[in-house]
Amino acid sequence: MPATGSTDVPAIEVRNLTKKYGEVVAVNGLNLKVKKGEVYGFLGPNGAGKTTTLKIIMGLVHPTAGDVLIGGKKPDAEVRRDIGFLPEKMSFYDNLTPTQTLEFFADLKNAEKKEIRQILRDVGLQEAAERRVGGFSKGMGQLLGIAQCMLGSPSLYVLDEPMSGLDARWRKYFKDKLKTINQNGATIIFSSHILAEVEDICDRVGIIHRGRLLFEGTVQELHRHLKLKPKLEIMIEGLAGKVPEELKGMEGIEASASGDWLTVVCDYGSRAAVMSILERKGLKILDFRTSEPSLEESFDLLLASVEGRR
Amino acid sequence: MNLKKVYVIGKKEFLDNLRNKWVIAMTVIFIVLALVASVFGGKGSIGGMEETVMVLLGIAAILVPIISIMLGYATISGEVENGSLSLLLSYPVTRTEVLLGKFAGLGTVIVVATVAGFGIAGAVIVAAAGTAKLGSYLLFIFLCVMLGLVYLSVSVFFSTLCSKRSTSLGLGILIFFWSSIYGTVILGAFLATGGDLMALATGQAEIPAWMWYSMFLSPADLTQTGVMLAFGMKSAFGYAMETPAYISLPAVVVAQVLWIAVPLILGVWRFRRRDI
Repeated sequence: MPATGSTDVPAIEVRNLTKKYGEVVAVNGLNLKVKKGEVYGFLGPNGAGKTTTLKIIMGLVHPTAGDVLIGGKKPDAEVRRDIGFLPEKMSFYDNLTPTQTLEFFADLKNAEKKEIRQILRDVGLQEAAERRVGGFSKGMGQLLGIAQCMLGSPSLYVLDEPMSGLDARWRKYFKDKLKTINQNGATIIFSSHILAEVEDICDRVGIIHRGRLLFEGTVQELHRHLKLKPKLEIMIEGLAGKVPEELKGMEGIEASASGDWLTVVCDYGSRAAVMSILERKGLKILDFRTSEPSLEESFDLLLASVEGRR
Repeated sequence: MNLKKVYVIGKKEFLDNLRNKWVIAMTVIFIVLALVASVFGGKGSIGGMEETVMVLLGIAAILVPIISIMLGYATISGEVENGSLSLLLSYPVTRTEVLLGKFAGLGTVIVVATVAGFGIAGAVIVAAAGTAKLGSYLLFIFLCVMLGLVYLSVSVFFSTLCSKRSTSLGLGILIFFWSSIYGTVILGAFLATGGDLMALATGQAEIPAWMWYSMFLSPADLTQTGVMLAFGMKSAFGYAMETPAYISLPAVVVAQVLWIAVPLILGVWRFRRRDI
């Protein structure tokens, strides 16, 4: 492979991947590319085929058809040396402490054992470093899972639902950690069924449903593609079911009124404009609330658009 | 195959069983059992090697397989079910290295516990009753270790076929009863082909060759016969009789080696192809 072309080689390339379990098609002709150096969010509802795809990438599951290339190579034991993997369903050896667990995995990866103490501190497990893993909570297990990924500073991270089981504080911390890892040059692909979990750290997202890729692109492209718009509800004194004239002419706004409640569906950027128009008009705003479109709604939209095209 | 990886996995497996006190528990069971057998064989005081093994052999041929099956039955299936194998196999190890490492680690547990248990008991017997038949006793220990490894290999192979601990347990029980199921089938075949048990017992008829050969398919019976040969005792199937020349100690050991190797090879073959 010429050195000049190596930057164009995707970190992961999934080609026409199909996996059938008997009659059930878990992955159906899937194609996707994760570019070197990016954070890729792999989204989909439960049962969409995310875990199966990631397991095929890691060589845990054998595909029925198609294949996977990692850095342009067929994945084998040697290729896996440079990957950190966090399975969705995971268990450690109950009798071992976190330190012993990481020593075992470091041996398998030929990684430096000197870094273990630092890694445990990084994930906040230094206090529990010598306790048996058997007594760990789900969240602590997840932290140890993240810790083992970091052994040997791999250049590719494959994370299956990494934020499940973490509370809000650890989720925030974990996202920051991912950003740092990414800034240091590693490529990251991680799966989730919650859009809000991924949108602020992903360079690109791929959405999978029933084993097929529905969408691949940046988060902005996804919003444009889905025409996602938040809903703004405003309580105005004396509205009496009438939509103010000033809003009717605005582009990209749908407004409706019911009693004293005004409902406005608009782009994220237009919400402030709507509020200032109302204030300038001298209307008295008693209360307001916003609701974000959920991923489930988005999936429905996406599905509707896919099925409409058929 | 990278032997260092096999060693790392084997070491962890062995240390796990040291930590959860399995090794020490097995060793103690073997010591107590052998000494109790010795006292029974010696009619109230520590008996010699031959008297001890005469009593010990039957129970060892049951206990060693049970322990091996308990160690091995969920090797792969248990880790598939709880998810630890997804993590392990994402590391730069091949499945062959993982399976052989686990077999080596668990096999070491059997070797250490059997040798230590029967060995310590043997030392007591030597001190109390002298060194007569010591060589035969050492052969007995060796054949028991081999029997343990046979059952370990078979149960590790069966564990590669399952995804759940519970199904594995069912297969483990099946493996345990294999000798009695098989023995019943052979006996049935003997009677169905016009065989006469009374004639066998009274020495009026010879055991047909196919029955002798059939013993190679039942590792527990095979091992018992091997121990009889090691002590120069003339009995088989519970009856006093001359074993034919083709049932020799080397033949028994070769059969045990095959019983270890073949299931292990099948296990590797199956494990490499399965989804986790």
